[in-house]
Amino acid sequence: MSTEFTEWLRERSDEQLRALVTVRPELITPVPAHVEGLAGRASSPSAIGRVLDRLDRFTLSVVETLVVLPSPVDQRALRDQLARALPEGVTVATLRAALKETVERLRTLALVYGPQNALVPAPGVREILETPAGLGPPAVEAFRHHPAERLAELVQDAGGESGDTRQALAELLGDREVVARLVEDVSPQARSALNELAWGPPSGRVPNARRQVRAESAQSPIEQLLARALLAATGDESVTLPREVGLFLRGGRIHRDLSPVPPPLDGTGRDQALADRTAAGQAFTFVRAVEELCERWSADPPGVLRGGGLAVRDLKRTTGLLDLPEWAAGLVIEVAHAVGLVAASGSVDGDWLPTPLYDAWRVKSTEDRWVTLASGWLSMDRVPGMIGERDERDRLLNALHPDLRRSSAPEVRSTTLGILAAAGPGVSPGIESVLGRLAWEQPRRRGGRRDQLVEFTLREAEQIGMTGLGVIAGHGRALLSCGGRSGAAAQALAPLLPEPLDHVLLQADLTAVAPGPLTGDLRRWLALAADIESTGGATVYRFCEQSVRRALDAGQGADEMLAMLERHSATPVPQPLSYLVTDVARRHGRMRVGTASAYIRCDDSSLLDEVMADRRAVPLRLRRLAPTVIASKTSRGTLVDSLRAMGYAPAAESLDGDVIIAQLDVRRTEGQPVPRQPVTFTGPEAEVVAAAVRAVRAGDAAHLARRVPVDAPAGQVPRSPATATINALREAIRQGSQVWIGYLDSQGNATSRILEPARMEGGYLTAYDETRAAVHRFALHRITGISDVE
Amino acid sequence: MSDGPLIVQSDKTLLLEVDHDRADECRKAIAPFAELERAPEHVHTYRITPLALWNARAAGHDAEQVVDALIGHSRYPVPHALLVDIAETMARYGRLRLDKHPVHGLVLTSTDRAVLEEVLRSKKIQPLLGERIGADAVAVHPSERGNIKQLLLKIGWPAEDLAGYVDGEHHPIALKEDGWLLRGYQREAAEAFWHGGSGVVVLPCGAGKTIVGAAAMAQAKATTLILVTNTVSAHQWKQELIKRTSLTEDEIGEYTGTKKEIRPVTIATYQVMTTRRQGVYRHLELFDARDWGLIVYDEVHLLPAPIFRMTADLQARRRVGLTATLVREDGREGDVFSLIGPKRYDAPWKEMENQGWIAPADCVEVRVTLSDEERLAYAMSDSEERYRFCATTPSKTRVTEALVRRHPDEQVLIIGQYIDQLDELGEHLGAPVIKGETKIKERERLFQAFRDREIQVLVVSKVANFSIDLPEASVAVQVSGTFGSRQEEAQRLGRVLRPKADGGGARFYSVVSRDTVDQDFAAHRQRFLAEQGYAYQIIDADDVLAGD
Repeated sequence: MSTEFTEWLRERSDEQLRALVTVRPELITPVPAHVEGLAGRASSPSAIGRVLDRLDRFTLSVVETLVVLPSPVDQRALRDQLARALPEGVTVATLRAALKETVERLRTLALVYGPQNALVPAPGVREILETPAGLGPPAVEAFRHHPAERLAELVQDAGGESGDTRQALAELLGDREVVARLVEDVSPQARSALNELAWGPPSGRVPNARRQVRAESAQSPIEQLLARALLAATGDESVTLPREVGLFLRGGRIHRDLSPVPPPLDGTGRDQALADRTAAGQAFTFVRAVEELCERWSADPPGVLRGGGLAVRDLKRTTGLLDLPEWAAGLVIEVAHAVGLVAASGSVDGDWLPTPLYDAWRVKSTEDRWVTLASGWLSMDRVPGMIGERDERDRLLNALHPDLRRSSAPEVRSTTLGILAAAGPGVSPGIESVLGRLAWEQPRRRGGRRDQLVEFTLREAEQIGMTGLGVIAGHGRALLSCGGRSGAAAQALAPLLPEPLDHVLLQADLTAVAPGPLTGDLRRWLALAADIESTGGATVYRFCEQSVRRALDAGQGADEMLAMLERHSATPVPQPLSYLVTDVARRHGRMRVGTASAYIRCDDSSLLDEVMADRRAVPLRLRRLAPTVIASKTSRGTLVDSLRAMGYAPAAESLDGDVIIAQLDVRRTEGQPVPRQPVTFTGPEAEVVAAAVRAVRAGDAAHLARRVPVDAPAGQVPRSPATATINALREAIRQGSQVWIGYLDSQGNATSRILEPARMEGGYLTAYDETRAAVHRFALHRITGISDVE
Repeated sequence: MSDGPLIVQSDKTLLLEVDHDRADECRKAIAPFAELERAPEHVHTYRITPLALWNARAAGHDAEQVVDALIGHSRYPVPHALLVDIAETMARYGRLRLDKHPVHGLVLTSTDRAVLEEVLRSKKIQPLLGERIGADAVAVHPSERGNIKQLLLKIGWPAEDLAGYVDGEHHPIALKEDGWLLRGYQREAAEAFWHGGSGVVVLPCGAGKTIVGAAAMAQAKATTLILVTNTVSAHQWKQELIKRTSLTEDEIGEYTGTKKEIRPVTIATYQVMTTRRQGVYRHLELFDARDWGLIVYDEVHLLPAPIFRMTADLQARRRVGLTATLVREDGREGDVFSLIGPKRYDAPWKEMENQGWIAPADCVEVRVTLSDEERLAYAMSDSEERYRFCATTPSKTRVTEALVRRHPDEQVLIIGQYIDQLDELGEHLGAPVIKGETKIKERERLFQAFRDREIQVLVVSKVANFSIDLPEASVAVQVSGTFGSRQEEAQRLGRVLRPKADGGGARFYSVVSRDTVDQDFAAHRQRFLAEQGYAYQIIDADDVLAGD
């Protein structure tokens, strides 16, 4: 651990430390005991890897340059080095401004420390960046495993006086003239091999890399290079280009093309208003698709597979119902699931069913419903695009499968959409352009997997209606910036959505055309009384005998239906339609069907009169259907037994004649779904940060003072009620004062401590413990009592 | 929010609000690439199908025009995916072309090598191809010109046929416009066909398809083979041609069951062409009998399958198809497209009616309630017999008679399916009955008498379904039909749609038994009429009988 780094960190102001832990929250989970702990954590490989992953290409290049140049580096030297790699058209002034800002940012991130004229990369950074900017290890490292005699040979062949150490060789290679001469010496083939490695990756594979070759006897191009120490053998079959040689081949530059500004987003220009309208149209369609899905699954739910998920056959069927491509249907299903509108019902052979949340969602306005869906999509870690792929164990990933997730998905989504938003109004960047921009913004995270996620994101954003014609829509932008918490997105979307209509066009071919979305009541009524024939901007309904009968079954009367038609029709009701309604109503209900589980049949109606009149027959729930027939709701066995008990002599009849009606039930899951915690990227809250920094400072003060543990006062701390304890602690935090507490340690022993409380949350107190001279966390329920320190 | 008259649905149908100010302009813009599917009173439905898009391509429209038309007239945003799909589908047409090559004869060339490779790998197409000529072309056996077009359409790469046509034997034919003039749309239709080379003209019944055929012949000025549905229709074609063109009786031959004349213009029936003896089509030689310059197919939607096969071998001759509808009950629209040609002209019924070319019609469905005994008998009848039973009940006969009495001064046609029912009706009404066994001579005599108003009521069976010309029938009563055939319904309505001398409207009654399969079939047929814009009414038979 570099003490310099720790010291530098210690000298940072509280504000600067707060800024640090705000952008690197992993440093305070849990809160380190002192600044030394903080420094240690800040230079751990995982923490550094994490923060480097978030750097853009320019910032990363600055770090790489600092790593390559011998430390400490003067900022001017750094600038000169970087200036060599500037592309045409970028002035040094731009670089200077950008660099100033970048170095400050790197200081904030504690990746670089030291004053202006002596910048040093934080400890650990060098180790993580093994091949900075694609450069190999320095000669000292590269030739590490070479025996002394081999080193002597190399030094000699490189034209050195004498010496058998790595330092001697490194010094030689550090001399540009020496390297120039050596490179001059080798054959053109060997030159081109070097050029291959020059811009990285710096290592390659050759058979028998450790062969002992001398400059004069070297044959093949590789041998020529190995003999002159232009390549170093790093294993039996691997060679690497020493950093010094690499730098020479790069002509002193470290980066090839280093732009301090991100690459521009190229794209087709679109009319923003048209894009907004297209996106709104799609948003409307998407909301409708989710509703359609829930309605269909209400009546006819697909089963849950044993491994979780939805069977391929059910997905295909749903795809057909929704009239969408399969990936889009998968998206609808996954989003509906992610926001809790559908869930697996609890029973053993479970079904995928709409939840009670769906009923609440359904009655909201279209824009609010969309905001729910779209923000759910943004924050979900599920990846619908992977449906149908196979996992590493070659198992098929079904829709709604538990493994259909990628933890980086939400971040890739928001980053990708952020890039679209950065493109400016009316610009639709191509996918290549987006990927290029992303490669600049997060160069360490590139890869096929991420590119695939980006592709999914763009495709899905269009489907959901975040974007239209590839341009981020106004409501999409609002949703991105406010994260679904404010109504801005809904407000932006609402005026773009078509006004709900309260009329339809009725036609003689028994269709009703709704030339736009309908008001809720009318829509529900039409869905009942007519079949939907096509959807889209408009909805086409068709009345037929079955649909009219369905409405009659649901309790509608013929007059009521005709009145409804008349009220909501922009034109007179066509005669064939009113005829259809009356005609079906005329026949409806002429036959009655009910359920009875048993019946009594008797030719002697007076005997049945007697049964009906008998008070003991009341629990049998009898109903006289005809003079000679009584129906009962009890089972045949019970009926026979009861009649016998009443003194009759009934005989059981065969089951023929039983009526069973399968009834379509609208079903729901049993309980409320467990709301999924939305993933947030806002970082820790300011209060937490402040408290953590205070705790670190306090711990550090103690640490520095090498305060000896103070003995707790003798005697027991007086017991106090929990509320009093918490109030006293809160007061102590506010005033920064010390308290004396009684505490049950993890073994259950009663101890006594002097504390300087720093922060209290989630049932725990973080405080500096005078008696142990360290920062500890205390469970509040184990604090037995509290008292002021005398 | 735009306020265009068009709404694009996700199933690729287009809804056009006809009362909208810009509806007419919009209709013109979308008609080339969308098939009119339904045209009821307020909202017309068009459908974009691959065939329709390719028809548009064949007519020289490009994807940009299509997309512009949709976006320009649409009320709501058009889904991007749909536009992309349209562009992709349209781009499929014309990637492959059939050309004439000076050395290799017929060749299939491609502007896209990958497509050609795909085609070459197809097992079904391979045998039709000859040697490869360079990277982008392959020879095709000239006899397979039709087959290859059919197969290419099936795999989704329709070929543009630019191989041209043989001129055929020259024969002077001219229109003789004395006392009548070619109507504007008839001229347009004939010209559209001629410029396209081959193809189908869609015109409603009564719009004068025969004259379009004659105009096409006058354009071709070559020997012509005309294929029609039946003998009566053949006679009528002949009469019409003599009347409308410079052709004389000697120049026109009839090739039917009874006569086998081959003349510069020959009219043959489908039936005779498809007659087989011992599995061999005996009259195939007719196609080779002369060097035909033009082949006319009447009623293309009824073209029997063997004729398709024969047509496949006739791809070098100009072909014109005439029909009232591209809808085929057997779904072989694709074969019509690839073998006869793309749609070249189309005009909706209602529009023709508005222009006064066809008579407006009033459609009425009369619901007959069966008597209790009839209902019982119906419930007990075998399922095969059910339709026949409910279609021919005595109750219907009574109502039909009452309907005829309602129109004492008009020419009434009674159309039905079952002979005994028709005989009974004929007897009750004292009207002659035309059925399958009626001699051609007798039929023509009766038709003439009906035309001359010597007979007021004529009872006809389905033999008269097609191509009979009864200009003065103003009332038709349909008592039974071929189950739910929509196309039959259209034909029958066509019987009364021809313009009347007095300019009056026509009436079309369907007598239907309530609560039976008859009613279901009727509903199916009538849906077609309603979709064509013929608002119909339903009345109870009791009202008819009461008003009697």
